[in-house]
Order: sequence, then structure tokens, then C-alpha cells
Amino acid sequence: MRLPTVADIERRIPRPEDFESRARGTALTARVGSALGVCFMVCFATGMWSHFQYSTPGWLTLSPNPTQLYRWTQGIHIISGTAAIPLLLVKLWSVFPRLFIRPPKGKQALLVEGLERGSIAALMGSSFFMLASGTLNIIGWYPWEFSFRRTHEAVAWVAIGSLLVHIAIKLPVIRTGLGEKVEHPDAAQEDPAAPTRRSVLNGAFIASGLAVLLTAGQTVPILRRISAFSVRPGDGPQDLPVNRTAAGAGADKTALDPAWRLEVVVGDRTVSLTRDQLLAMPQSTHRLPIACVEGWSRSAVWTGVPVRDLIALVGADPDSDVTVSSLQTKGAFGSSLVVGNVVKDERTLLALELNGETLDVDHGYPARLIAPNRPGVFQTKWVKKMVVTT
Amino acid sequence: MSAETHPVASRGENVVRGLLILTGVGFGLWGLWLMRDFTREQLTSEAFWLAGGVILHDAILAPVVVVVGYAASRLLPAHFRSSTATAFLVWGTLTIAFLPTLSGEGGKAGNDTILGKPYVLSWVVMTLLLVVYAVGAALLRKRRSPGRSS
Repeated sequence: MRLPTVADIERRIPRPEDFESRARGTALTARVGSALGVCFMVCFATGMWSHFQYSTPGWLTLSPNPTQLYRWTQGIHIISGTAAIPLLLVKLWSVFPRLFIRPPKGKQALLVEGLERGSIAALMGSSFFMLASGTLNIIGWYPWEFSFRRTHEAVAWVAIGSLLVHIAIKLPVIRTGLGEKVEHPDAAQEDPAAPTRRSVLNGAFIASGLAVLLTAGQTVPILRRISAFSVRPGDGPQDLPVNRTAAGAGADKTALDPAWRLEVVVGDRTVSLTRDQLLAMPQSTHRLPIACVEGWSRSAVWTGVPVRDLIALVGADPDSDVTVSSLQTKGAFGSSLVVGNVVKDERTLLALELNGETLDVDHGYPARLIAPNRPGVFQTKWVKKMVVTT
Repeated sequence: MSAETHPVASRGENVVRGLLILTGVGFGLWGLWLMRDFTREQLTSEAFWLAGGVILHDAILAPVVVVVGYAASRLLPAHFRSSTATAFLVWGTLTIAFLPTLSGEGGKAGNDTILGKPYVLSWVVMTLLLVVYAVGAALLRKRRSPGRSS
């Protein structure tokens, strides 16, 4: 018995024409791919907007308006990413036979083919990476060694870059595919019972829509009952979900200590206030959302002292930058910077009450920051100190 | 497939394509630049996750779907094929989309405001509903065109 040669093995590997489903084809790929491309672009734009909240470029001044902006952009970020998952899988199914196209003859053709395949590998790898790391971040599972935020950002540029290259290469094919009728011209004669392109296209859009409907209740209130797979059902103490509990932040004992004082500091001047003294100051009440990077958000009614009134006690201007730090001893984001543009808004509060009750310890008792249009992770809880930095 | 692969691009379109490639390569390089200070351990883990999705898809998921499709086209009664394919598409893609939530991993100790729903039960209900759809649509199809169904 002789060993199989390379040619024998090659004969056993399927060829594109061996895949028999007539539901595949450019007309389907171009349509699903276009929808997927839109999802990726929206996801990329809203994602970069979110990164700007974490490290703000010089040309951008963070603003408290529109109040719900971050809630919308980050909600849309997660929704567009979720919608992309079924579209990506159907899109890849529709072109899978092309994986088996044999390499062309001739050096130049081989080089072009190699570059194109390389761009597709980069696009596939980075697409899977973005969707997998994003959905795992939503549930708070990090089975890897890298920093989620920085790597999700860096790979996003690779994903969109390779997507642009892919669109450039395929542009004439996309144009032709979108111009064609969806159905394969011979499909009905060949095998009338087989799934059609139209049914696959409809299936892709239905699956994509269902993926959104079944998860988006974590940010769209009217979908709360429908969204059986939302990670944040929306309940919690005082009708608001909690990201980090007081125990999880290592603040459960210090937060309930009667000796707690808020310190407001500018230069070498410090004013200390008890919670009763804070309650004796003029209070403001505003309805503001908590909007988290994981894509969940919920509005609540907050009552407390405007931050600009607190820093006025040490003689600081209402548009000063303020660094707010927490009692927390565990986990990241123990302090946050509030830029002057946000401090001067009277809705930027050191909140003492939530939905008409004394703040729950898991929501930041004795006092927490709440400001409009701001990622949840910067709404510092268990506030210990406010330092005026300009 | 052969005739569709080589439509001719106009000159204006080629200008757009060139700009897209330049922008795309620039974006990709910027992404790599942002990784310049990652440690070897971080990069190895990242590479594992980048390659893992492609390998899982091309070597396992896609061939399994091809085999399932091939088997279904031979084994299922004709009027069942279309509705089963649609139900399988929706079931498969949604199951993958919800895998993290279904995994039982994640969440935070002492925090029941995250992952607080009976997800596996919902997944079983979703699966049953799609089976009902596949069977119901197949029976409707058979009733409508009894002559063409076999």
C-alpha cells in the first residue's frame, strides 16, 4: 500500500463547487454583509465615543448635555454589537465555500490572493475578538491576561481597518450583488424544497432582531419584560441595579461608620462635613440615568447637594475641576475627575437620597456623585473627599 | 460563482477603493501602535483569542453546519426542509449570541442585580418554540402544496 501523495490529499479537500446549497451567493452575502458593516461602523463610532469619556482628547470638552447622551451611545454600542452576531455567522456561512478556492498560478496573482486572504483573516479574527470580548465583559467574565478596555480598543481599529480594506477589494462585487435579485435564478427548478436565499436572508434579519429584543431590556425600559436574556434584569435595591456592592469594593464597614466626614479640599484649606450637615444644606432633586459601559442603564430620582455649592464652601469657582475619591479599597475607579464644565451644572450632585429614600449602602451611602451624561463607573460611590484641582 | 467574482470597476470607483485601502491600512497600523506597550503575556493571550475564533469557526462550526445541512437535505421530508433550516439558523445564531449569559460564568459575588434571570429555562423555551415553528410551518406547507411536497 502506497502512502497518499499531496495530489491525493488535495483531491479529497472539497472545492467551492462541491457545496450544493443554492441559498449561498453574492446577492445574499452583499445584503447580509452590508447590514453587518453598518452594525460594525455604528459599534465602532459609539465605542470610540466611550473611550473618549475615559481618556479625553484635547479637542473635546466633556459636557453634561445632552443628559442622556452616554446612555444612548453606549446602549446603541451594545445593541449594534449584539445585532452583529447572527449577521456575522450567516455572512460567513454564505462565503464558506470560498475558503476552498485553490491558490492561483503565477507569483503576482499569488501575492494578491495572499494579501486578500490576510486581510480576511485579520477581519475575521478581530471581528470574533470584538464580539466575544464585548459579550464576556457584559457578564463580567475575563478569561484572559490582557486589559479588556485597552485591547478591545486597539483591536477595534484593526477590525474597522481590515473591514475598510475588505470593502475596497469587494466593492464591485458588492455593487453587483446588491443590484441582483435575491433569489438564485435556477433555485426553484433544481430543488424546490431547499431553503431559499430569501429564507436565509429573512432568517438572518429575524435572528439579529431577536438577539436585540431579547437583551436590550437592560437599557430600553419597555423591553424589560421581553428581554429574557438581558444580563441586567433592572431590579435592585431602591429599584436600581448595582455594579459594585459595598462589600465588593471593601467599603461596607467605613461607609456605615458614624465618624464619616466629607472632606472638601482646595490647596491647604479643608472643610469637613457630617451627613447631617450635608442634609441641612439646600437640596436639589433631579432625574438622571446611571449608564454603564456594559450597556445597561436606568433612570432614577436623586436628591443631594450640588457639587458647585460644596466647593463654594472652600471659596472655589463653580467651574473648577474636582477630583472625587471614594472609601473603596478594592477594584479600579476609586476616584474620578469631574471637569469644570460638568461641575458648574446644578444637576451635578453629591447625592444623599435615591428615589425618595436614604441612599442604600450598595448605591454609595453615605454620599455619592451623580452627574448628567457620564459613564456609571465615574459616578463615584462612598465619597470621602473632593479635591478642587484648578 | 465565477462570473460574479470579477465585475469591472469604474475609474471613480477605483479611486474610492484606493482611499479605502489607505484608510484601512492606517487604521490597522494605529491599532497595532496602541498595543506597543503590551507585555508578551498580554500579547500571547490576545493572539490566542484572535486566532481562536477563526479556528473554531473554520475548523469546527462551519464544517458541522455543512454536515448538518447535508444530512437534513437527505433525511428530512421535503416539506420540512425550509422551515427547519430557518429555525436552525435562528436557534444556532441566538445560542451563540447568548453563550456568555448561558455559561454560568461571570457575575459578581453578593450581587444579585447581575445575571438574575433563569437563562437556561428561557433557552429551553426558545428552543421549543422554534421546534413548534419548524413543525407547524412544515405541516402548513404540506397542506398548501400536497402534490409538490415529496
